[in-house]
Amino acid sequence: MQNHSMQALSPKELNYIADSITNEELLIKQCAATASITHNPQIQQALNHYVRSHEQHLNTLVNALQQHQSFAPTQAQ
Amino acid sequence: MYSQSLSSNGAFMQEQDLLKSILADLRRTSREYTTATTEASCPMTRRMFTDLTNDTLRLQGELFNLMQQNNMYSVSSKALRQDVDKQIQSAHQTQQKCQQFIQEKNTQNSSYSQSPNVSQHQPNYGNPYYM
Repeated sequence: MQNHSMQALSPKELNYIADSITNEELLIKQCAATASITHNPQIQQALNHYVRSHEQHLNTLVNALQQHQSFAPTQAQ
Repeated sequence: MYSQSLSSNGAFMQEQDLLKSILADLRRTSREYTTATTEASCPMTRRMFTDLTNDTLRLQGELFNLMQQNNMYSVSSKALRQDVDKQIQSAHQTQQKCQQFIQEKNTQNSSYSQSPNVSQHQPNYGNPYYM
């Protein structure tokens, strides 16, 4: 990633990232729970694949927060 | 009462209902990612939300296909031919009106200056942050 494209997050962006983390958490739990009860191997395989995809999304979102951490002002401007 | 939330086979919820719930959440999440993309001001954040939108749309499509293959998703009824015909007719009129409008505006423009003396504006849709 290029450094010059990095800016401090707006409050709106921060809220979207936080909401997205909640969404991804819910999807991970739902996919894992459904995979544990299904008897259809095709569906189970797909759901396990979705769990991994949503875990990656979650990592991406957490990384974004960390990468923007140092750009955030410590006081309201 | 817990027993009230148990379905006939003793499971908390039927597999089909759980999958429908996941599908609905994927639909909602992709919508929220789209909104987040359009409202992001940091280019890097916009890029991230764009990628997450695309990936979530892909997962939603995959799950929908899988459920349809396993007869877990009833295909909705089909739009009638006469309704499609009507929409086509109306869409053709819209296209014509748009063309007329563009021509009118172009004519107005050319009445001020016959030939442009500046080079054509560079299109900005090649910008990677807005793709």
